[in-house]
Amino acid sequence: MTVLRTSLRNFFAHKGRMALSAVAVLLSVAFVCGTLVFTDTMNTTFDKLFNATASDVTVSAKGASDTGETTSRTGKPPVLPASVVGTVRGTKGVAEAEGTVFSTSVTVVDHDLDKLSPSSGAPTIVGNWNGNDARTMKIVSGTAPKGPDQVMVDADTVDKHHLKLGDEIGVITAVGTHHARVSGVAAFTVTNPGAAVFYLDTRTAQQILVGRTGVYTGVNVTAAPGVGDDRLKQNVTAALGAGYQVQTAKEVADANRKELGGFLDVMKYAMLGFAGIAFLVGIFLIVNTFSMLVAQRTREIGLMRAIGSSRKQVNRSVLVEALLLGVVGSALGVGAGVGIAVGLMKLMGAMGMHLSTADLTVAWTTPALGLLLGVVVTVLAAYLPARRAGKISPMAALREAGAPADARAGAVRALIGLVLTGAGGWSLRLAATADQAKDGSAWLGLGVVLTLVGLIAVGPLLAAGLVRVLGALLLRVFGPVGRMAERNALRNPRRTGATGAALMIGLALVACLSVVGSSMVASATDELDRSVGADFIVQAGDGAKPLTPAMVKAIRDTPGLTNVSRLKEVPAELTLPDGGVHKQSLYATDPAYPKDVRRTTLSGRQSDVYGRDAMSVGSDFAGKYGVKVGDTLKVAFEDGRAARLRVVAVTSDDTAIDKGKMYTAITTAGRYIPADRMPLDLGVLAGNGGDEQQVYAALRKAVAADPSVSVMDRADYKKDLREQIGQLLNMVYGLLALAIVVAVLGVVNTLALSVVERTREIGLMRALGLSRRQLRRMIRLESVVIALFGALLGLGLGMGWGATAQKLLALEGMKVLDIPWPTITGVFVGSAFVGLLAALVPAFRAARMNVLNAIATD
Amino acid sequence: MTTAVTIPRHGGTGGATAVAARARQVVKAYGAGETRVVALDHVDVDIARGRFTAIMGPSGSGKSTLMHCLAGLDTVTSGHIHLADTEITGLKDKKLTRLRRDRIGFIFQAFNLLPTLSAIENITLPMDIAGRKPDRQWLERVVETVGLAGRLKHRPNQLSGGQQQRVAVARALAARPEIIFGDEPTGNLDSRAGAEVLGFLRRSVDELGQTIVMVTHDPVAASYADRVLYLADGRIVDEMHRPTAEAVLDRMKDFDARGRTS
Repeated sequence: MTVLRTSLRNFFAHKGRMALSAVAVLLSVAFVCGTLVFTDTMNTTFDKLFNATASDVTVSAKGASDTGETTSRTGKPPVLPASVVGTVRGTKGVAEAEGTVFSTSVTVVDHDLDKLSPSSGAPTIVGNWNGNDARTMKIVSGTAPKGPDQVMVDADTVDKHHLKLGDEIGVITAVGTHHARVSGVAAFTVTNPGAAVFYLDTRTAQQILVGRTGVYTGVNVTAAPGVGDDRLKQNVTAALGAGYQVQTAKEVADANRKELGGFLDVMKYAMLGFAGIAFLVGIFLIVNTFSMLVAQRTREIGLMRAIGSSRKQVNRSVLVEALLLGVVGSALGVGAGVGIAVGLMKLMGAMGMHLSTADLTVAWTTPALGLLLGVVVTVLAAYLPARRAGKISPMAALREAGAPADARAGAVRALIGLVLTGAGGWSLRLAATADQAKDGSAWLGLGVVLTLVGLIAVGPLLAAGLVRVLGALLLRVFGPVGRMAERNALRNPRRTGATGAALMIGLALVACLSVVGSSMVASATDELDRSVGADFIVQAGDGAKPLTPAMVKAIRDTPGLTNVSRLKEVPAELTLPDGGVHKQSLYATDPAYPKDVRRTTLSGRQSDVYGRDAMSVGSDFAGKYGVKVGDTLKVAFEDGRAARLRVVAVTSDDTAIDKGKMYTAITTAGRYIPADRMPLDLGVLAGNGGDEQQVYAALRKAVAADPSVSVMDRADYKKDLREQIGQLLNMVYGLLALAIVVAVLGVVNTLALSVVERTREIGLMRALGLSRRQLRRMIRLESVVIALFGALLGLGLGMGWGATAQKLLALEGMKVLDIPWPTITGVFVGSAFVGLLAALVPAFRAARMNVLNAIATD
Repeated sequence: MTTAVTIPRHGGTGGATAVAARARQVVKAYGAGETRVVALDHVDVDIARGRFTAIMGPSGSGKSTLMHCLAGLDTVTSGHIHLADTEITGLKDKKLTRLRRDRIGFIFQAFNLLPTLSAIENITLPMDIAGRKPDRQWLERVVETVGLAGRLKHRPNQLSGGQQQRVAVARALAARPEIIFGDEPTGNLDSRAGAEVLGFLRRSVDELGQTIVMVTHDPVAASYADRVLYLADGRIVDEMHRPTAEAVLDRMKDFDARGRTS
């Protein structure tokens, strides 16, 4: 009881000092809970959508995916004949059967040729207005589409693009471009997370999406009363025989959920990973706080021990304080987590993904997990300081100052740290020199962990050295104030070490990723310059969609181009001479392709691929399966017949572009794949045969009719690559900011507690004539030195990790190491500013102290 | 008055001496209304230049408050305080800080030194803060006077209590302030170490012409001074020139007795 009472009193007596630690716990817990609530809410939203949109049983053509998506390499959805609808309708247990036509391989544009497709990556769906959709959507204005020139649009898209009834829109498909006017607006009755949906009448949909009438992409089947979905499925399957895909509503929803679940899981675990980093950093803050509180309370604890408290009691009283901190911080964190989730939903909203707060899902496990995590981490972090408190001797009550640091424990710690760092460095070296990517990444992982833990352990020792160096370089200019700041930072190397280490973790990751990112760009750029001969690259949907035949024609008709070559992906099953079977895509190209993409061949010639029934293989595949020039492989094309192709070249896989690709000629593929099933072109490459600027402009003009198609010259391509990687990095930096914020709180905390500890000193200095400004500067400089110490360690460590990762990834073609000095320097200088910022409040408070009271403080 | 001259004396005490610090009608009160406590009650005092003045009085008499006000560490409720020709009452923190830095030296009872700085760095600290170069010769003389030559590189925790106070004295002297204030500078020392420190203060007055004001409740310490001021209930109630320990003790007993009977 007494223990609890003293703990409670201490906790509330130091609530100001506890506040920062509580914020650290709060932030980490909030991030965890926010992630969970957000992903759960996404799941709820999509579940509702999937359950609402699926009909009892769906029949679709073979070749459609489980989730009912109908995209295909040909740009047209797989179809089934209209007679199927009749057959199904006549089946026992069927109340209603309706043919549906829809496709997601479309681009929809408004009158100004601006894309009406969502930018969030959600699909654009064009289909016929059918009874099933009529159940889940409500026409809010206008009428359902009738006739070829009418289209109905979903309400979200209408709002986002400010469409009105009567506006003209264009639907671009592999068949061609179709124009229609908005006849109606339909709103989802459940939350639509972001898909753009366009409805046509059935005949028009068939013509635009498939190119002919009398076919459907699927059949929506409604069960007669009393007939279960599974029963219905059996009946329909029996009636239709094989060759069709029949799924119940549950199966469709499950398949959808599974596909989405994969994506959500990646997102969830990535975000939880960053929360974990924040927790790790928070641990330093908590350890530091309790160490300082214990140090400040040394005499008090000594007195408690002198009057008979046991070690255990003292130890426990500190842990109880930690428990309180953990509970308070986590409880607030859970609340803040819901706020974060709502914030994320709003952010998604700004990016085009609609989530409704009505679907906000907080599972009971979320707060439970948050609380548990927060409390356990806090108590564990406080364990060492608590143990140290228990070790305080009763004599401490009588001594003047706090107990001196245990020098031997420090030496042991430094030694362990050095050994770990050394071992970590060694495994990084092994990783850099590994010739198997798999072994290398294991060494890299081990090296990262060991060097991190090692540096944290040697932190105090390094603090003593590095702070002196930093002081000599930066602080000497500030004269005696700088010197005192340096001495203060050195006074408790363990504390400085821990504070700096917290910052180090976040910055090491930033440095590592920036090195890897910029090496990636540099390597790809380098590779591009060496092996790409094409001056222009044309792709649709940033390479995610095939080009429509109309676009390819427009490109080929553009004057001034040379070496125009197309690239198609043709999936096939290879049978090797030894009988091994491999599913593998071949890339069918035009004979100009080797001029556009120069590949090194280990044997044979790349140009021979364009002879009759020839192909090439990559060196990795060739080496692994013993395939060589002159072998004949059986190639069963998924979209056509089987062929026997002769291997005429082995291309080197020591590259980043087209690594591992097997080539064949489009003419060869054309002999085995019927024209209507021939995959569309993934991209078109071309060289410049005239005035570069003029040709470029002409090419852009040629593809202007389809805004999903982009033309890039080499400079564009490089810029695009840089931007893509830059965007990815920025996202990761944003998430790492959480860990850095917690680390900065740690710096604030350390300074605030140091100021309190040094009240008398500050009073003395003020009495001796140190001005407020000088005092503030002294604290700021101390802060800057600590921050720069952390930055130096973090950036150094991170660059080491990054360079090792690059050496390892060189095996995958990332050959160029590029250290982004502007970023590194920026982070270093930024850290100094962060230090200044962290010192703001502590410095202000120190300067405001009353001189006399400060001197009189015990 | 009996004189037992055991310590060297500053020459001639009769002549008019310039005033180093002057307080006029100084009132320092805390709180208001019912809880108002008057620590200094219309105090007038002149501190003579080149002399060693001790301020004595029982606990709560206001002696420390008087020193703090004279030294510009504390503000007064009313009245005026001059340091030489500068009025310090009403000065803003910035000016007061500079005044303390450039013109005043301090020796506190304890915790006089910054633990991170060596002895010599502590000694030159006020000048470092001011960005002034210490006068080499003077510094050497001061260091020699207080007998610290061999310990200048030591950190405070490597010095004894007496040595630490000697460093504090050296610091106060090194900047050649107009006036040094000591707040029970020997309060934490044993009698031998205390005597040593007081000896240095005495010598600095005699040999270096330093002005020193020292608050103490130790009659022996007060006997090193040229003049002792007695404070009681916030007023100066008596003074004594050329004191001896016995005389001071007698006078204190007097006050005590009066205090008890009144």
